[in-house]
Amino acid sequence: MTSHPTRRFVLFVAGACVLIALLVVLSLVVGANTVAPTMLLDTLAGRGTEESRFILLDQRVPRTAAALVVGAGLGGAGALIQAITRNPLADPGILGVNAGAAAAVAVAIVFLGAASPGQYVWFAYAGAFVLTVAVFLLGSAGPRRADPLTLTFAGLAVGAVLSGLTTGLTLTNPDAFERMLGWSAGSLLGRGFDVTTPVLLPLAVGIALALAIGPALNAMALGDDVATGQGVSVPRTRLLAVVAITLLAGTATAVAGPISFVGLMMPHVVRWIVGVDHRRIIAGSIVAAPVLVLASDIVGRLVALPAEMPVGIVTAFVGAPVLVLLVRRNRRVTGL
Amino acid sequence: MPPLRPASRRLRRPALIAGLVVAALAFSGCSAATTTPAATGAADAGTITVTHARGESEVPAQAKRVVVLEPVALDASVALGVIPVGAAVLNEAAGIPAYLGKAASGIQSVGTVTEPNVEKIAALKPDLIIGTESRHSALYDQLSSVAPTVFLASQADPWKDNVKLVGKALGLADQADTLLAGYDARCDEVKAQFAVEGKTAQLIRPRDGLLTVYGPESFAGSTLECVGFTTPARDWQNSISVDLSPEKVLEASADLVVVTTTNVDDPTTMPEAITANPSSFPDVHLVDQSYWITGVGPMGGLKVLDDIESILRDAQ
Repeated sequence: MTSHPTRRFVLFVAGACVLIALLVVLSLVVGANTVAPTMLLDTLAGRGTEESRFILLDQRVPRTAAALVVGAGLGGAGALIQAITRNPLADPGILGVNAGAAAAVAVAIVFLGAASPGQYVWFAYAGAFVLTVAVFLLGSAGPRRADPLTLTFAGLAVGAVLSGLTTGLTLTNPDAFERMLGWSAGSLLGRGFDVTTPVLLPLAVGIALALAIGPALNAMALGDDVATGQGVSVPRTRLLAVVAITLLAGTATAVAGPISFVGLMMPHVVRWIVGVDHRRIIAGSIVAAPVLVLASDIVGRLVALPAEMPVGIVTAFVGAPVLVLLVRRNRRVTGL
Repeated sequence: MPPLRPASRRLRRPALIAGLVVAALAFSGCSAATTTPAATGAADAGTITVTHARGESEVPAQAKRVVVLEPVALDASVALGVIPVGAAVLNEAAGIPAYLGKAASGIQSVGTVTEPNVEKIAALKPDLIIGTESRHSALYDQLSSVAPTVFLASQADPWKDNVKLVGKALGLADQADTLLAGYDARCDEVKAQFAVEGKTAQLIRPRDGLLTVYGPESFAGSTLECVGFTTPARDWQNSISVDLSPEKVLEASADLVVVTTTNVDDPTTMPEAITANPSSFPDVHLVDQSYWITGVGPMGGLKVLDDIESILRDAQ
């Protein structure tokens, strides 16, 4: 079954890169407003009209960049979380990262008057970070130090409390509720470079960490005892994984709001194609997830004219059936 | 994005105008103005029968302890001089909208418009409750057991009809007509003052990165039309408003464009889609969302007209 795993992996990554390149072009050409390709070329060359410059340079270019950033973050976080929890249904939301980010954004909107995605970014990061630390401390208490199940339970519990807080805050304040609606559906509208530039560093650190702990995760897949016997520090690897998940999922959530299904589904697709090596699953997910996010964003621009549909809703529509199909076709690999 | 609810709203920002109604009536030369507001109190005049969305109800002829659950009922009651003892608000953090003036500032909040709190309402011992069938249908029996309850059919109905029904419920039907006549007269006055016939105007509410454009059926949209503006034609999809992708921002351009905000003094609340296309939006103004969008009623209407007048005057 793993006749040429390396070749398959290389082909997979190359294919994903080609797809990304095609989708980037499509993303610049397609939108709610139809702009002639010649006009787009003119605009790229520094001419064009006021309107075409706004559409291409202020809307499509930045949201395309945002889609790539969000996709990479979600893919990497999803692969890591499934690896350390050994739970194929784990999603970055399971450690409560989204709930923490959402609660922080709600607090920022209600009490501090934050009103734009650029202002939400740091609150979302802070929320994701504080929450992950809390979950990790909670999950590390007691005899079973930070084992996957304890972490998952801690994440679910803390996440539930924070979701309650967010709901309470937004219900008494319909204005916040309305702003949160757009954010919590997961959208790339209005995510300019002011939003994406500052998150590049955390994203890069997250990706580097994720790739670095791949070998240790492979050892841990055989059991904690085996890993320890091979000289892998299990607690340290888990800690690094949690830091990387916070950075990656936090980045995606800070930019777009919580987007479901991408982090859950893409690692499955990747595992199905490249096999069970965590290094390849992580790297593969980081390049493959942007394909889904970008494609979903493009679809979302066209299905609700003259308005747009938030990318998070499209990924759920696309993701759910694909996941069901994968599970049905490939029980063996998905482990379901 | 799912289609928007017809009028989700919010309120705030100071601006005192209790005497505004009277002033407007005087302005229009309406002699009936002298008898306008005040639930003259004193004599208990028994009950009157009001026909409303839930049938007929016997209500006090001159209710004194009124609870209102709909913004248009709040605005109309205050305008009629019957300051409610309690009101459901759109935003509990902001409370009673500031544009209603000092007289209204002491009104108790009884929960949100979407979820009023029956216990708080009962605690105020009202003698009349005014709600909305489309929002509070399930609460009717509970509310009726607290006090006689009159329901408007829907907040999406023409606002003037709702004002008239509130007037009837308060036993002040004639005064309500006078208020509406005052609004119409103020429209005509602004219209006569500035020749805007043939010019277009568009009201935009930025929301979640999208732009919600309001049509001629909307509250403030109809006010722009009453002074002579035309709303640019589009398919309104049987709604008072339509959401636009920012890529389609030029569809929202007009001779006069008004953009709602929670802070008119903060130019950064102007959406980038508009600031990036200055040649298509030569005449853009930020206006206060608390009455342009949510101030449905005669008082809010006059505030909107004041804004329109000052915008047009500045342009001269």
